[in-house]
Amino acid sequence: MSGNFEWVKPVLDVINGFFVVYLIGYSTFLFLSVVVGSSVLYKRRKQEKLKSILQHNYKVPISILVPAYNEEITVVETVRSLLDLDYELYEIVVIDDGSQDNTSQKLISAFHMHAIRRPMHYKIPCQPIEFIYETMDEKVPLTLIRKANGGKADSLNLGINACRYPYFICMDADSALQHDSLTKIMQPILSSKDTVAVGGVIRPANDVELEHGRVVRYKLPANLIACMQALEYDRSFLASRILLAQFNGSLIISGAFGLFKKDIVIQAGGYDTATVGEDMELVVKLHEYCIANDLPYRVEYVPDTVCWSQAPERLRDLCKQRKRWHLGLFQSMWKHRTMLVNPKYGAVSLISYFYFLVYELLSPFIEILGIFSVLAAYVFDLINVRFMVLFFLIYTVFGCVLTLTVFFARIYTADLKVTPKDAAKAIFLCFFEVAFLRFVLSWVRATAFWGYQRQKLNWGKIQRQKLQLK
Amino acid sequence: MVETLIYFYLTVCVSMILFNLVCACIFRRQGQKLNRSSLLFEQQIEAQIRSGSITSRDEAAMIRKLKRVSNLMAFDETLRRLYQREPEKTQQYIISLSPVFTYLTFEYMGKDALLAAYFPYLIFQYGIFKGQDNRTVSKTLIKLLSADNLYCRENAMLALYTIGNADSVVEALQCIDRSEAFHHPKLISDGLLTFSGNREALDVILWGAFPIFTDGMKVAVLDYFRFCGDLHAPPILRVMSDPDTGAEVCYSCIRYFGKYPSKDALPYLYTFAAYGDARWEFVAITAMALAGYPCKQTADLLKQLLRSRSWYVRYNAAESLERLQVPYEELMGEFFGRDRYAMEMLQYQHARKKLTQKEDLPQ
Repeated sequence: MSGNFEWVKPVLDVINGFFVVYLIGYSTFLFLSVVVGSSVLYKRRKQEKLKSILQHNYKVPISILVPAYNEEITVVETVRSLLDLDYELYEIVVIDDGSQDNTSQKLISAFHMHAIRRPMHYKIPCQPIEFIYETMDEKVPLTLIRKANGGKADSLNLGINACRYPYFICMDADSALQHDSLTKIMQPILSSKDTVAVGGVIRPANDVELEHGRVVRYKLPANLIACMQALEYDRSFLASRILLAQFNGSLIISGAFGLFKKDIVIQAGGYDTATVGEDMELVVKLHEYCIANDLPYRVEYVPDTVCWSQAPERLRDLCKQRKRWHLGLFQSMWKHRTMLVNPKYGAVSLISYFYFLVYELLSPFIEILGIFSVLAAYVFDLINVRFMVLFFLIYTVFGCVLTLTVFFARIYTADLKVTPKDAAKAIFLCFFEVAFLRFVLSWVRATAFWGYQRQKLNWGKIQRQKLQLK
Repeated sequence: MVETLIYFYLTVCVSMILFNLVCACIFRRQGQKLNRSSLLFEQQIEAQIRSGSITSRDEAAMIRKLKRVSNLMAFDETLRRLYQREPEKTQQYIISLSPVFTYLTFEYMGKDALLAAYFPYLIFQYGIFKGQDNRTVSKTLIKLLSADNLYCRENAMLALYTIGNADSVVEALQCIDRSEAFHHPKLISDGLLTFSGNREALDVILWGAFPIFTDGMKVAVLDYFRFCGDLHAPPILRVMSDPDTGAEVCYSCIRYFGKYPSKDALPYLYTFAAYGDARWEFVAITAMALAGYPCKQTADLLKQLLRSRSWYVRYNAAESLERLQVPYEELMGEFFGRDRYAMEMLQYQHARKKLTQKEDLPQ
């Protein structure tokens, strides 16, 4: 190395040291997630076999809020699936956020709904209502509210204003709930008076056939992009979320399926309409609100209550979705930046917030820095190529093994069986996901801020297909 | 160092995959074994039912087998099938096996919470000890109520409701009330409704213990009374009229008199309706309850409440006026041009009623 570049080695040494610490932290978190997640699932399965579950249809009323924007293809099927749930006391409120297609008309004609002038109690500000339709002819009351376009968060805020019951569930208009999902998601509410929010599992519905909320045919999606997401969802929902919930540190409850206590959400100010990641922002806000006001609270996660949702099948759609999620993550974390390494917020700050900052928000940049430093080290002949390749392989295998561990833990989740074909597919695709898709998505996430202003309140649409419901 | 750590993690994860796969095989084998054991139990039980008597040797053999959880699960499976086929004969058989179950109650209560919760579930599911005054079993079940595990407590409560001994149930409620563990009032009120014994005796004992219950438990018990029927008006009126009664307990009483109108309660309801905005919860619940008291004074009061600043009071008052069948035109005539908020509520409740009755409405 010539004298002009002598500074390179110490710089690379510092980067090297940073990566050692970073990777130890990351692998330890993943490792703990998978170990804790698997053991919790095992324990729950055992509990279920020994009937350590609440078995009655306790009548705690729930409102299901379904915000919809240009969902004419899926919305009717989604509502039909909601009418099939094994629960007695609930209502469905669909909020059409000024769709440009026939979302409202499809619902009105499918369920013979009638226009009604309903006085609204505005506890959270939202865009004005255009019309309201109701029907009492179904198993439970069904309401359709069409409003001026204002985004998903704004639609949910209107839903909160309009719904009648003390707990609400938010879900997407392209999703379907499993028949027992309400009964199961209510269990943490019956178990503790401090529960303010409960998350459930999201599984890709691609190629899954549901009949009256029951899975009648399950296989991994045929589409490779969707299939890799199925593996990724397993890792995320069945592992890390279980771990974070163990110490009340969940920072995300998916917008596709989550239950909230209405009064506390209203007190905290409802959904933030200025962020695209309204689901995460609300949960972080609830943590902040409850801790700041010394309110005892729990954010729970139920790993066997399932919502089937469509995963994007085109790489372009997947990239759009991930850009949006990353932006939402940034907005939520920035808005609640006072939680960073703040002992007042306990484990939520020191573990959850810190993890999301370093290993979710900054990870794409860190990974890109890693690639550049490897290139620089190669250029300056400071690298042992054999060791580097070996290290990369070990890391890939580690990632795959973690994914497969969680994948095979499906055995403990009630309904899903792993066929030999699916097992082979999972083994093959998890390598592809860890070694390829991960880097593509890192790049997408790193560049998420380009065009940020343009897509601020955009619903981030992806190509829709009809759910396979009977 | 990093490599060592990753190799360590890798080893553990690979072991977990193996564990998962081994577990899958074990579960499958356990399933097959469970089916086999269940079929054997079925043959044995059917033979015992045919013979019409269970010898002490049979009992000893049954105890020996059912001490093992896997056998108990197979037995559960068998009973489930037999119940579907021959409910009465199976129930008779279960009653004749009471000494075995009494022994097993003590056996399982000594195990960890997960296993301890399973046996009360079976008592509840198959009505074991139903109608029997088996105080020792009840006392053992009450001991389970001090467990941290909610499911253990709830299964024990379900078993007690099924056995149907009123004293034991109330003793259990007092035990829950004293403990710091949270037991949702909904579980208690819905659970009490499944009580299989003498309901009148239960109600008498519940009223006896009522003053020493905490407010949370009082609300659960009052909710149970509300779903039971209209037999409890006098004591509930006493609770409602007591100035020391807590607000939540009082709301529950008002709801009771909303469901089962009583002319003795009416003066109190009028008093609550006059509480004003500071105590709007009282007013809102009362406005709803007044729907059961058709008279001019009530209608006039509800019309006043339609002007309340509280959205909930206006909503409930409008709904009650609609249920009292006060003519819509009369109401609109009174409020038109004077109170837009009241009018909106009346219009909505009227349209909602038409919607329920499927009268002509725009589509």
